[in-house]
Amino acid sequence: MAERETILVVDDNFDNVEILRMFLEAQGFTVVEAQDGQTALAKLDETRPDLVLLDVMMPGMDGWQVCRTIKNHPTLADTRVVMVTAKGAFEDKFEGMRSGADDYVVKPVDLKELKTKVERNLAARGKKG
Amino acid sequence: MKILAQAAAGAAAEGLAAAALQLGAELITVEPGKNGSESPLYGGLRSHPDLVFVPAGPLADLQELRTATRARGAALAVACATPEEALRAAAAGADEWTLPSTTPAELAARLESAMERSRRSSLPQAAAEVAEHLQYEELLYDRFTGFPTLPLMLERAREMLERSGRLTLLYIEFVRYSKLEEIYGWQKLDEVLQSTAAAVRDFYDQQRDAQESLLMVSHAGDDDFIFFTDLPEPVDQAERRINELAEALQTYIRERLEQDHGADIASLFDIYIGSTTIFRNPKIRTERMIYRGIREAAQAARSVEHRERSRKVADLKETLRQGAVYVEYHPIVITATKEIYGYEALARGSHRAMRSPQILFGVAEEANLIWELSRLCRQRAVEGMETHLQAHQLLFINIDPHDFRDPAFRSMKAEDLGIEHPERIVLEITERTAITDYPAFQVYLKEFRDQGFRFAVDDAGSGYAGLGSIANLQPDFIKLDISLISDIDTNFMKQNLVETMVSFANEHDIKVIAEGVEREDEYETVKGLGVHLTQGFLFHKPARAGQGPR
Repeated sequence: MAERETILVVDDNFDNVEILRMFLEAQGFTVVEAQDGQTALAKLDETRPDLVLLDVMMPGMDGWQVCRTIKNHPTLADTRVVMVTAKGAFEDKFEGMRSGADDYVVKPVDLKELKTKVERNLAARGKKG
Repeated sequence: MKILAQAAAGAAAEGLAAAALQLGAELITVEPGKNGSESPLYGGLRSHPDLVFVPAGPLADLQELRTATRARGAALAVACATPEEALRAAAAGADEWTLPSTTPAELAARLESAMERSRRSSLPQAAAEVAEHLQYEELLYDRFTGFPTLPLMLERAREMLERSGRLTLLYIEFVRYSKLEEIYGWQKLDEVLQSTAAAVRDFYDQQRDAQESLLMVSHAGDDDFIFFTDLPEPVDQAERRINELAEALQTYIRERLEQDHGADIASLFDIYIGSTTIFRNPKIRTERMIYRGIREAAQAARSVEHRERSRKVADLKETLRQGAVYVEYHPIVITATKEIYGYEALARGSHRAMRSPQILFGVAEEANLIWELSRLCRQRAVEGMETHLQAHQLLFINIDPHDFRDPAFRSMKAEDLGIEHPERIVLEITERTAITDYPAFQVYLKEFRDQGFRFAVDDAGSGYAGLGSIANLQPDFIKLDISLISDIDTNFMKQNLVETMVSFANEHDIKVIAEGVEREDEYETVKGLGVHLTQGFLFHKPARAGQGPR
């Protein structure tokens, strides 16, 4: 059996994290949590997840900044980053693109959509170039 | 803790006061600057605030303030009224931004984190070194060359400085033509950088065999390199030796680039070398001396660049006098059929020193000769139409934003260009340049459009114009910026954006062009997204009239 893939869920709202954790664990993923940007970066370095589900609006370092940090990092840059954004505005997507994000889901999260997007991003890993 | 803020009104002022109180920070408020006079903010900076908080202004102002705050080790936070303004704040490098919906508690948290970030990135007791520290932080990582990284380099350089009492640094600065990636693809740029790195390494190895003193080399951030050397010669002879070394290195790299990639690509790069020698001083921390040395050598490289540029102004005048400009045509194909729809004209100088358009136009801008150069390039582009284009194919010409101030351009008629069908000419205007006066700009555009010329917004997605502004310009074409296209096959964010832009374009009867398509997977993806036209290295390279595909 293939190794379980790890997903880091970053959200300052504890309830959101728990919902995502339960859902993703039921799908067979290992879930790591962080409630803010700083912790997320520490966990990333520690656990090297395959994918990060990253909330945009967080106090302190926001999701875009975390994403930029990941994508500019020499060894973390290949981690897939899916932004969880409250808004679907076009300009937000530009911000996401500039931050280097790979995909996004809009809040409130539709779990079926989330599953599709997580799967397509995991499948797209390593295909680049 | 001290916060310097530009006065705001009503709820914003209260929110800030509450946030400052929560942080226990001293709040200093200054009035906005009047037109033409220096903003009181700059005066306030002299009181060493930890953070500066201002309402969003034009990008250039924010960037200027960013430089000033960074030099003083102060964080910069920007109060934004709209998401567009927040994008601008981010582009200017602000540590943090807020929106009207930001609550005082959240504001406090954000300001605190901005200060924290700014503090983390500054060296202790040396606010003036903040900027360079940030810059050299990049040295910590070298993904590219396998050269020693900063900590290692520092350690050895320190040993050397302590052993021989002095250390010479050669800073090798590479300047490349920014459209290189767009035209030749990022793989090509990577290849060029790889062979540059290899050339530097080989040169280093050779020199080290010849003389023990050349100590090491490192890849500095972007595309720059640093040599550390401890020359055995007496100080008065060292300078000559350093110049010889710099010259030999420059020749070596240039020859290698020409050999590996051809003279055309090699000409898109410039190499400038600056040097400095530092002497041991027990009163100053060695690392700081080395940082200072790097900075001085980098500045020296830039002043060499500057001197070269004055020489180039003379070359440019000669180019204009002789009309020594030629054009390469880069095909744009219909995505579905791969048939050639039109060509983008790319100007080059015929003289070797003026080959690169970046140099050509950069020099022209400095020397205030841009109108003359643009006129010559337009003329050349149109001249080649007869031999290179079929009757149904369009010619895309880049228009420099300065051209709109050129009376000869403003009153340009199709017959001035010697063409019968202005509708075959597409004027490309880049989105990168902020168009500040939209109404005036639209008047100019209308005059051209009335004559039959067509328009393209170039580099769409690179700036912050947004779809609304693009719609206002009513272009016939939108050329998507290369950053939207590279790796689009695996980036769903980009796919979504391009899909949105295509459906927007379809609603407004605009055609979308994907630039910089380099791989089959990227092509298949843009095709699947309904992008009408495609331009890129995957299909064709730019070629001179009569030489490329037709």
